[in-house]
Amino acid sequence: MTMELSAGAAKRRGAGGWRWAGRIFLVLLLGFTVMPMIWMFITSLKTGFAAMQYPPQWWPAEPTLDNYWRLIDPSGTVGRDFLQYFWNSIWVSTLTTILAVVVAVPAAYAFSRFRFPGRTFLFFAVLLRNMFPAVVFLVPLFILMKALGLVNTHGSLILTYLTFGLPLAIWLLKGFYDNIPVQLEQAARIDGATRFQAFFLIVMPLSTPGIIATSIYSFIGAWNEYIYAYTFLTRHDQMTLPVGIQRFFSENATDWPGLMAATFMMSIPVVVLFLVLQRYFVRALTEGAVKH
Amino acid sequence: MSTVPGQAIFRDVPEPKRLGLGRKVWNSRFDYLYVAPALIVMLIVIGYPIYYTIELSFFNTPASLALSAKQFNGLDNYVTILSSPIFWKVTWQTVVWTVVSTFFAFMLGLGAALALHREFVGRGFLRALLLIPWVVSAVAASYVWKWLYHSDFGAISAMLSGIGLIDRPINFIDNTNTSLYALIVVNVWKEFSFAMIMLMAGLQTVPDTLLRAAQVDGASPWQRFWHVTFPHLSGVSMVTLLLLAVQNFNSFIIPWIMTGGGPAGSSDIWITHIYQLAFGRQRWGVASAYAVILFIVMMVLGYFYVRALTKGDEARAGA
Repeated sequence: MTMELSAGAAKRRGAGGWRWAGRIFLVLLLGFTVMPMIWMFITSLKTGFAAMQYPPQWWPAEPTLDNYWRLIDPSGTVGRDFLQYFWNSIWVSTLTTILAVVVAVPAAYAFSRFRFPGRTFLFFAVLLRNMFPAVVFLVPLFILMKALGLVNTHGSLILTYLTFGLPLAIWLLKGFYDNIPVQLEQAARIDGATRFQAFFLIVMPLSTPGIIATSIYSFIGAWNEYIYAYTFLTRHDQMTLPVGIQRFFSENATDWPGLMAATFMMSIPVVVLFLVLQRYFVRALTEGAVKH
Repeated sequence: MSTVPGQAIFRDVPEPKRLGLGRKVWNSRFDYLYVAPALIVMLIVIGYPIYYTIELSFFNTPASLALSAKQFNGLDNYVTILSSPIFWKVTWQTVVWTVVSTFFAFMLGLGAALALHREFVGRGFLRALLLIPWVVSAVAASYVWKWLYHSDFGAISAMLSGIGLIDRPINFIDNTNTSLYALIVVNVWKEFSFAMIMLMAGLQTVPDTLLRAAQVDGASPWQRFWHVTFPHLSGVSMVTLLLLAVQNFNSFIIPWIMTGGGPAGSSDIWITHIYQLAFGRQRWGVASAYAVILFIVMMVLGYFYVRALTKGDEARAGA
């Protein structure tokens, strides 16, 4: 890079002003982005009384972790329910992810490598699914789940989460397979491997980053899903977090600090997963749309 | 057809020209095994619901969902929808919601992408922070913003009064004039970082040499952006704008949790309206007809999406 040269040239042409504008813009944008998350956290440290003040205490006079203790204390009703929702969310998201990836891997590979009739049509049919809102599928799926006796079970969620998990997984994984040179499999074939062995022994290990990224996507999607869970589940012991935390609203009073502690806890797993693995994550997302 | 070099090795027979379709299908029979599980699942969870929605849209359905009692009523459901003034109100609000959200999410994303394009210390960390709203669940986001907007204890009102703009808390979301826009702010907050990552990836494809050449020729930063960077971004921008528009059009969680479409339907959009028709008022047939219309709108958008994507493919193949 010709850092010094371009920096010098930029200064002469008054680009310094642009750079400052960029910095100020970033600072403002960062404020806009993180302010709600910080307020979520601050409120979660307040007592119910402290939260109901105007103007609000920007930092609680007596910060307390009591809201969090209530959530994770299995001997109280709040804690028992919350831990149950948390467990349900983990269970449903994990199972959805495994199913989606296992089914999507061979399909994505075929879309990337083989030229069978109907390939383009099928692939775009898969892709187009992601344009349709859950609501379009909601009524018939609700009827289907009722007929199958799956309403109020996790089975209904896992099955319906595949409606968005599977197309996305196929699309992301295909992007990864497209980037693995065909020559590697050809070499294996020449050495006597079958087509399936070439796929399983050569391509699969190479696509591990893709599978990780796809799994995270799928997991986060299922973890955050609301509309199906909200419609299909009415029994408390079956609920997942996004639906369950509505319990902190009761008719006459909302427990805002409790609610904020719960949403904070709910956000932690996905934010941590994402921060640790965001390199894969971002690459997987942009791979399909931007190729160089 | 497409000729990936060495593709033939994956086939038992080398691909001759002018093979009948039946023959081609037969030759590829093992390829289909790889796609079959996915297709079977998709047929059940996607194909069947689409078919069923179309069917229901022509029926008068009992609230109990005892579907043996449904009655064929032709296009009545469609007539009911199109002749209702609420339909047009909700459609207008959906357009405002989609267009305004998409515009601001894209512009903020573009600004962030440009500002983050240059290397500097902490850039990766900053990018990760800016991406958090996009990862956090919409349910969590809706509750936090509801709390921020609270008409008695809201932090936003407090901040505005702190800088002397207002003297008492404002009711942002319980007000028919402001509810839709208050929700749009939340939506932009949630979505701009999607535009940001897409455009950051797009910026990496802009050739450095071109930018430097323009600089040597004396182009101002603005001219460089407008004549060099921007044209290179057009492909990504198309895809990003379309995806954002589709996502926004399909929004449910934010309006549903924050206002439930209210007050007085002032923040109702298509999706929340359909949900209310189906699960609130048990009018399954009318809700299905709505879904079919939505389906058609989405197909049109989808056509442009696929075209934007395949254009990228052609450009790539040509390069």
